[in-house]
Amino acid sequence: MTEPLHTLLESLPETSLTTRLLGALDYVVPGEWNNIVSLEAMIRDVTGESDEALIQQIGERALVLFQDPEQGYERAVTVYRGVDSASTVAGAAALASAASERFEILSFLRDVAPKPDTVQAIDAGAKLAAELVAFTLTNGLPGDSVMDFANALASYGKEERIRVTAWLAFDAIIPLGPDFLAKIMDTLGSVDTSVLEENRILRFVSEHLPGDWGQKRDILRSNLENAGDRLKSFADERGMTQESLVAKAREYVDIADDKLDMLAAALDMSTNVFEHTGIQTVARRIVSRAYGEI
Amino acid sequence: MRPRLRSLCTFLLVTFLVACSKDEPKSTRWNDAAAALASGAPVSASAAPVAAGSTLNARFPADGTDGYKRVFTQEKDGFAEAKLQKDGKDVATLSISDTNGTPDARAKFDAASEKLEGKYPLVTVGKNQSSVLVGGRWQVKVSSQSLDADQRKNLLTKFDLEGLSK
Repeated sequence: MTEPLHTLLESLPETSLTTRLLGALDYVVPGEWNNIVSLEAMIRDVTGESDEALIQQIGERALVLFQDPEQGYERAVTVYRGVDSASTVAGAAALASAASERFEILSFLRDVAPKPDTVQAIDAGAKLAAELVAFTLTNGLPGDSVMDFANALASYGKEERIRVTAWLAFDAIIPLGPDFLAKIMDTLGSVDTSVLEENRILRFVSEHLPGDWGQKRDILRSNLENAGDRLKSFADERGMTQESLVAKAREYVDIADDKLDMLAAALDMSTNVFEHTGIQTVARRIVSRAYGEI
Repeated sequence: MRPRLRSLCTFLLVTFLVACSKDEPKSTRWNDAAAALASGAPVSASAAPVAAGSTLNARFPADGTDGYKRVFTQEKDGFAEAKLQKDGKDVATLSISDTNGTPDARAKFDAASEKLEGKYPLVTVGKNQSSVLVGGRWQVKVSSQSLDADQRKNLLTKFDLEGLSK
């Protein structure tokens, strides 16, 4: 049984380590993201309407759209959720969200092993592929040509934009450094298929990619080839350097200089950026459509 | 009751209500609709077969119309949507939907007092949306939190309404 859209939104925390870290990225994309945690607030934000009967009508149509399996919205949420649950260590998220303003990473360091660069690079590529899959499930393939996901990325706004910014920060630049793009491409091109198959995030995402493992690898690489330059130039334009991002993250997480590899692993385990903002993205797109259809 | 005791009781009652409200769901307004969906047959968002969204794309205003950048944002069966941007900022959302899937949506046009180009019944929905019904089937909408009704109406004329009605 599908969980209804409104309770999905209401189950998102108003404050958690995830929301605090996303808030910390506000300096990169000022004012882009507000943490909207109810269907009603999402409708007001998308439409600017205040008539209660109209809001009710839009919301009820949105519930129907989400519940219809043919529409793909619910599967998109499954993809966003799966990406995070594949990387979250049980207990770490609860521990982190229970912590007050700043938490001692050492308190659960025994659960955190730094990821080798290879794993980090595959994780990053897999998460970007998940974004592509979820985008397609949510929006179809808008436009007359098979639309370049890269073009869509360029016009991303709100929750989508903060999610991609967070991917750049926490999955790419902090763990892999300024030449993250080359590292991810090289890794995806060079590792044995068996290494890809063993990757927890990729194993989940691959269920949603067509073809055999060779073809899945091609999709991962072409996705990165198309979107990579735009993402890299976005990061450069916004001054997203490893140093500035680590300094920001330090406001929330206590970490020593020589433990940066653990920082990325710990953040990955203790946050659910894709799930949290993914549910908001899907809700926004459904509400927009409901407003268009009623 | 003495005033001090009364204010103490009021204080306790308010505290109690605030404490209770924290544990309650954030809204109840969707419960009936959600319950109806949960109890019925498998949910379908369409009442009848609808046109593929891709067939609707060609009817949108061209990219660059009135200086706007047009970005297609959704394409689902019976529904296509694009946004208009200026200087990188979203200005309006455009959509075409096939009311074969949502026949109830047609009812509001019965009361339309205005016709766009003398042909297509035009209504305002809420305060930020203008909508026309084309050929008794296609609902074309412009929604915007910054454009007024006249500006939205002007954008509606930029769709290929004639082509859509055939």
